[in-house]
Amino acid sequence: MDTLLLLAMNGLIWGLIIALIALGLSIIFGLLDIINIAHGDFFMVGTVLAWFTLELTGNFWVAFLAVPLIGFILGALIQRAVIQPIHNVAALSIVATFGLSLILQEGVRITFGTTPRRILPPIQSTFHMFGIDYEIYRLFAALVSLLALAGFFIFLHRTKLGTWMRAVRHDRETAIAMGVPAQRVYVLTFGIGFALAALGGVVAAPITTVEFRTGVDILPFCFMAVIIGGLGNLPGTAAAAVLLAFLEGIIQSFADPTVARISSLVLMSAVLLVRPQGLFKGLTK
Amino acid sequence: MMTPAVIARVMLIAFGAFLVAVPWLIPVILNKFWVSVIAEIMIWSLFAASVNLLFGYIGLLSFGQALYFGFGMYGVAIGVATLGLSFWPAFGLGIVASIAIALVSGIFAVRLTWHYFAIITVVFSLIFYFFAVSVKPLTGGDDGINFALPPTFSIGGVTGSFSDANFQYFFILATVALCFFLMHRVIRSPLGKAFVAIRDNDVRAALIGLNVYQLRLIAFVMAGFLAGVAGALFAFFGRYASASYMFYHVSGEAVVWAIVGGAGTLFGPVVGTTLFIVIREIVSTHWEHHAFIVGAVAILVVIFAPKGLVGLWNAELARWSERTNDASVKTKLRTEP
Repeated sequence: MDTLLLLAMNGLIWGLIIALIALGLSIIFGLLDIINIAHGDFFMVGTVLAWFTLELTGNFWVAFLAVPLIGFILGALIQRAVIQPIHNVAALSIVATFGLSLILQEGVRITFGTTPRRILPPIQSTFHMFGIDYEIYRLFAALVSLLALAGFFIFLHRTKLGTWMRAVRHDRETAIAMGVPAQRVYVLTFGIGFALAALGGVVAAPITTVEFRTGVDILPFCFMAVIIGGLGNLPGTAAAAVLLAFLEGIIQSFADPTVARISSLVLMSAVLLVRPQGLFKGLTK
Repeated sequence: MMTPAVIARVMLIAFGAFLVAVPWLIPVILNKFWVSVIAEIMIWSLFAASVNLLFGYIGLLSFGQALYFGFGMYGVAIGVATLGLSFWPAFGLGIVASIAIALVSGIFAVRLTWHYFAIITVVFSLIFYFFAVSVKPLTGGDDGINFALPPTFSIGGVTGSFSDANFQYFFILATVALCFFLMHRVIRSPLGKAFVAIRDNDVRAALIGLNVYQLRLIAFVMAGFLAGVAGALFAFFGRYASASYMFYHVSGEAVVWAIVGGAGTLFGPVVGTTLFIVIREIVSTHWEHHAFIVGAVAILVVIFAPKGLVGLWNAELARWSERTNDASVKTKLRTEP
């Protein structure tokens, strides 16, 4: 019972972090029609940058601000240099982002090395709850993720830039005719997508290991959240990420992690075949 | 007169002659190691061709071809190591296994198109990847299965075996060439025309009476066959099979090779695969981070040659022949290259 609770909690928190990353993937996919193979590596770059920030400044908290900012700039640069020249052609975008993924991974291997490293949580203490000792940092991670998710949705619905992003996604031609600078919205979207993944990286860095391979493992999971939540359905994506990680956490309490992973993949195949519009179609638009 | 068709034929003959001469030519000008690199390039080209058959000719981007490669590979490895089969039955087992799994997964996968198709193919391959990693007694997991190679045939006193480097090279060359020839015949056949009709406009193809679902399934199984043969050959080539070859990165590499070389052209995958494996082999002796160069080249090619290298070459050739022919022939019938 204790392990079940622990794994369910871990799954829930991990799901909130995944929701951040998957949201970035989803807006890039929905707005630019790009299947971003490098998105997992955006997360990985976030964890690595968090490690470097800690090394340079000795203060992990700085990373929560600095890393998403660096991510945003990197994302905007990548959009201009790599994504824009291929004119959002989906097949080419797969090749280009695959190339990008290799460059990011190798870039990290060159600068950071191949040895996996761990970051100690900035909050070390634990607290007692329902018979288990739980790390406070994990709760803090959940809080940061929730705040970032809320902030993103407020940005999307309450600001001019957010409205532009929704307008371009809804109907590009009309949006351009109404004077929305679509090209700038693309740059902005890619930047935000990278920033969200990088923030996910910072939040997750003390929970997981920091190494060049983590992006490869996380990418399929993010795609699952995007698909099960429904393409273009952002709240659905966030909900699906939490649901999936929670379910995997529960399955892990009585079976192998691989079994948990296979179960969610099978669930995803079923969703794709039966409800390709996602589980939550009709809840929000 | 040097028409594009004549140039293509001359190049094909020169290329064929080069491949046949490789075991004698390459050790003289480079060294023996490159003969096996070329054999490996041929196997991976066949794998990239399976992506190309689906994406380039029927318009379905599969991101899970590694699954069928892996089944071909494990069919051979389990056949030899566990079941104690000899060469041909093991080869057959690998191919049949990959066709069977392609049929089963294709029945579901080709109900979807485009993004959804790309994602369901990668999901199917991941399911079996995790499965292969976890059932260690059967598959060896990430460590894989090593096996001792049975002889290919022995008639009378003559034995052919992969332990003879030249025999291995020519066996791979013959098998890959045969597969490419079959693919060429399919593309030129009415079936291939139907594939292209579906690629260009599936609604119109359905309206003229083509059974889109069935044709997509046929193409999917054919692509599974090509990937399965490549996997089986690779198992014999490396005397080894491993779950890591079923991971989605392997599928992704084949997509990159096919598109960079030129999707929808017969030799595009060969060009793309050759480019990347040669880069890997040359750079990795000097610098361990060869993947960095591979990534940069992939990005540069899709930016500057969106139709791939063969597409770029064909366009240049067409422009050149147009210029030389303009003086004599005014009206020109454009046919499919």
